[in-house]
Amino acid sequence: MKLTVDNVSRAFGGVYAVRDVSLTVPSGELRAIIGPNGAGKSTLFALIGGQLAADHGTVALDGQPVERLPAHRRARHGIGVVFQAARTFPGLTALENVMVGAHATTRAGFLTAALRLPRHHREERLIRERALTCLDRTGLADWAHRPAEELPLGQQRALQLARALCGRPRLLLLDEPASGLRAAEREHLATLITGLRAEGLTILLVEHDVAFVMRLADRVTVLDLGRVIAEGTPAEVRADPRVIAAYLGPSTEPPTPAPAPASAPAPAEGAGP
Amino acid sequence: MTRWALLAAGVATLALPPILPERYLATFVLLLLAATVTVGVSLLMGYAGQVSLGQASFYAIGAYAAGLLSVHGVPSLIALAVAPVVAAVAAVLLGAPLLRLRGHHLAFATLAVQLILLSVLAQADWAGGAIGLQGIPRLTVLGVELRDVGYAYAAWVVLAVALLISRNVIESRAGRGLRAAATSETAAAASGVAIGRYRLAVFTLSAAMAGLAGGVYAFYLGYLSPGSFPVLLSIEFVVMAVVGGLGTIAGPVVGAAVITVLVQVLNTLGTQPGMPDYAPSVLSYAVYALVLIVCVLYLPRGLVPALDRLRATRITVAERADPARTGP
Repeated sequence: MKLTVDNVSRAFGGVYAVRDVSLTVPSGELRAIIGPNGAGKSTLFALIGGQLAADHGTVALDGQPVERLPAHRRARHGIGVVFQAARTFPGLTALENVMVGAHATTRAGFLTAALRLPRHHREERLIRERALTCLDRTGLADWAHRPAEELPLGQQRALQLARALCGRPRLLLLDEPASGLRAAEREHLATLITGLRAEGLTILLVEHDVAFVMRLADRVTVLDLGRVIAEGTPAEVRADPRVIAAYLGPSTEPPTPAPAPASAPAPAEGAGP
Repeated sequence: MTRWALLAAGVATLALPPILPERYLATFVLLLLAATVTVGVSLLMGYAGQVSLGQASFYAIGAYAAGLLSVHGVPSLIALAVAPVVAAVAAVLLGAPLLRLRGHHLAFATLAVQLILLSVLAQADWAGGAIGLQGIPRLTVLGVELRDVGYAYAAWVVLAVALLISRNVIESRAGRGLRAAATSETAAAASGVAIGRYRLAVFTLSAAMAGLAGGVYAFYLGYLSPGSFPVLLSIEFVVMAVVGGLGTIAGPVVGAAVITVLVQVLNTLGTQPGMPDYAPSVLSYAVYALVLIVCVLYLPRGLVPALDRLRATRITVAERADPARTGP
């Protein structure tokens, strides 16, 4: 599904978090959004997903404007979201968590459920089957009947991805899916993302870890201080002097963070293989 | 095991009415009706994360709807069927603006609604005013006019229907959406859950349950007045839901039973010779307060989850003996 963001802005208390951002992601592309801390990546993500409303500008899916729709309606239009924080549903099992994800493509309501109409049984079967497939795919099959809060962090993230996939999205928004993951989990995630892209899913990957992004993305959009400062293939972006300046510039953290977490951006990482 | 417990409880409560002394039969009927309302309150509080301190309003609306219709010649069974519908419509009209409010704001708003309703009913001559609505005929089912024991069975059926609907809703797509929204609104909305509409639906459903119970109440007593639906009654429903255990299906019934029996015992105590006039009411207020405090302190999740956990402890211990599973 093609995503078109046109001239979108959002300010908080007079300060622009995102300012006049435009970008077009053609169907089937894996687009990464990178930028230093406070560049507006997560705000842009929320403006597309519907968690925040834009002050002005348009967001369109396959040419259909969705910027005025609430998040749950955008989900029905085919947007799947994986949040940065592990926003799972405690108290529900892993399987139930993923089944919630199917909301976007199913309809049975309260009356259907209360009266146990045929539609309820039909949809329940479909949802359960699909959820189990998604759990399997994200390597969570063994956790299906555990309460979500008992899953380790890495699995909770995978659970969010499984939940998003259960809604059969055509545009997948991933907000820093790799942060806090161990190396092996990170590899698994990279393989999974590559596989989803190969199936033709359009993916928007907001990421702090430049190295992780550079080897996955078709194209990269670089944000700094709420504006797009560069866009191109990973190689083009890596060589772009504006990008280097943004990462090394005075507005950001030092280039070689001493005891920084693994996910901190460092230009040296971006230049690596 | 749960299935057997359920069956046993069903059989026991069905066998009870004919052998109960008359003065306890009234308590039994009111207990079942209170449990029905509490099923709705528990659905609202436990699964949708909303507090209503005015649930007795819908109990009253259902009761008055059934009472007024039957007084004006509508067959009693039809009047009873209309009662939950009227309560549900009232809930939709009230809920649309009220549910924009959160947490204690909603609680106060529902409380205010009840106060307004009570004063309107007291002024409304067409509803009997402050004197009350009199001459409500008896409930007639298949040509048989119900007597006391009959109402116990009517209330039993009404509670069973409420429990069944509650379970059906919780274990469904809609129920999962609700439970998800109660823990993370953002993630639930992003998954496609229309949170506002869902909450309105649960509010409406809980009102319908209260309305249905209110309908039976109207026919059982044959007389309604605004004084039958005090704010304390709304609070009683909330206490029952909390004590029984929010987010469980059996919780409302257990909570209603425990509180009703406790209040009954204290009432008997309060009306003993030598006790002052105000003893019964003081004792009932005191018991709600005490039970709620004890519950919040020692059983924050209510009786039913506490019992469940007691049973589950053994299972967990057995599970720990298993070799630790590792993530894939």
